Amino acid sequence: MGTGDDPVVVRHRELERYATVALKAGRIMMESGASVSVVHRGITMIARGFGVETIGLRSGYTSIAMTVHAADQTITRMLQVGRLGVNHRLDLAVRELCARAEKGGMTVEAIESELARLVRETPRHSPWFTAIAVGLACTSFGRLLGIDWLAFGPVWIAGAIGQYIRHHLLHRGVNIFIVAGAIAFLSATLGGLGAMAVQSGTVQLAMMASILLLVPGVPSTNAQTDIMDGYPTMGSARAVWVLMIMLFAATGIWFAEELLGMRG
Amino acid sequence: MWDFLPHFLHQALFGAAAAAGFGVLFNFGLRALPWCAAAGALALMVRTGGQELAWSLEGATFAAAIVTSCAVSALRGQLGPACNAVALAGCIPMVPGAFFGQALLGFFALTAPHPVDAVEIFVSAAEHIIRVIFTLAAMGAGLAIPAQLLKNQDF
Repeated sequence: MGTGDDPVVVRHRELERYATVALKAGRIMMESGASVSVVHRGITMIARGFGVETIGLRSGYTSIAMTVHAADQTITRMLQVGRLGVNHRLDLAVRELCARAEKGGMTVEAIESELARLVRETPRHSPWFTAIAVGLACTSFGRLLGIDWLAFGPVWIAGAIGQYIRHHLLHRGVNIFIVAGAIAFLSATLGGLGAMAVQSGTVQLAMMASILLLVPGVPSTNAQTDIMDGYPTMGSARAVWVLMIMLFAATGIWFAEELLGMRG
Repeated sequence: MWDFLPHFLHQALFGAAAAAGFGVLFNFGLRALPWCAAAGALALMVRTGGQELAWSLEGATFAAAIVTSCAVSALRGQLGPACNAVALAGCIPMVPGAFFGQALLGFFALTAPHPVDAVEIFVSAAEHIIRVIFTLAAMGAGLAIPAQLLKNQDF
């Protein structure tokens, strides 16, 4: 009898397929901005739908691992996780799929193809619409911080241009920290020049408001959520990532302030 | 009381706009964006009200996050598992990104060969970073407590 017919090997292969598809769902949720506890629950729900028991789960910043058990067989598998972002609609759609899978009756192939369909077809706002919205968010933040009305338009435009270029740079695979520094420099310079051109009295605030698109709000709250949920390693990793982004952003704005003669 | 109203409405309006703008970046659907805007307006109204009552920024942020989280939890029948995300989007305008930036710029300034008023710069930067940590903690706790106690469904 070859190993291909060995019932233990066959069972292992089955378990591997269950683990892999559950981990794929978890990876999408994690890359879409879900906290670790939500990711773990989603993975467990899919495994339960196949009638297997989840013995253990571990999430790092770049990987998820799970151990599953059924009929005296146990396997552990790990999957790489890509860049963590925020995609609310995709996250919700995968959560809904997890809830459906938990009820049972879905095959591995059905879940795999549904996951692929969700990744492919979940709508995203167009880059130009997102840029305009993010520019509006920056200038609104600016008003909350105290920029005057003269700086309102320049900050909107600077934030929108920054977001549009950030989208394209990230799409081309440029390092996220380099992008943060470059966009901070660009947006702060544009916001500062615009505010100077309209003789705003709040040029420095306008420069700061122009880079607020870079502030990682969701990762910073997820860091805290993860720590509160009992995942301090992941929470700490997220916090360090947030700090690094802000360091690069601050470097960008520092150079912009030097360029425009705003420092000392 | 009425003198305060324009400022109150101003903060609510721009809190709503900031939350909705970031909602687009986070890929909320068009039907969910008004909820993000409403959550942002509510959060900023509560925080502004708290600050008018001479609460600290951190205390007012905590109250705003609690109220926003409770409000979206009350609407969980309509919002479903998205309710926690809507509350978070509403609180995004309270993330102290500008304080964070100013703190880091202050620390950068200390690295100059002969910084002028080094102690003042250090105290100011340290104050900013402490406010960032406490404000983020207040916001995170304010969002998490009602969601945990009311057992909002994530799925």
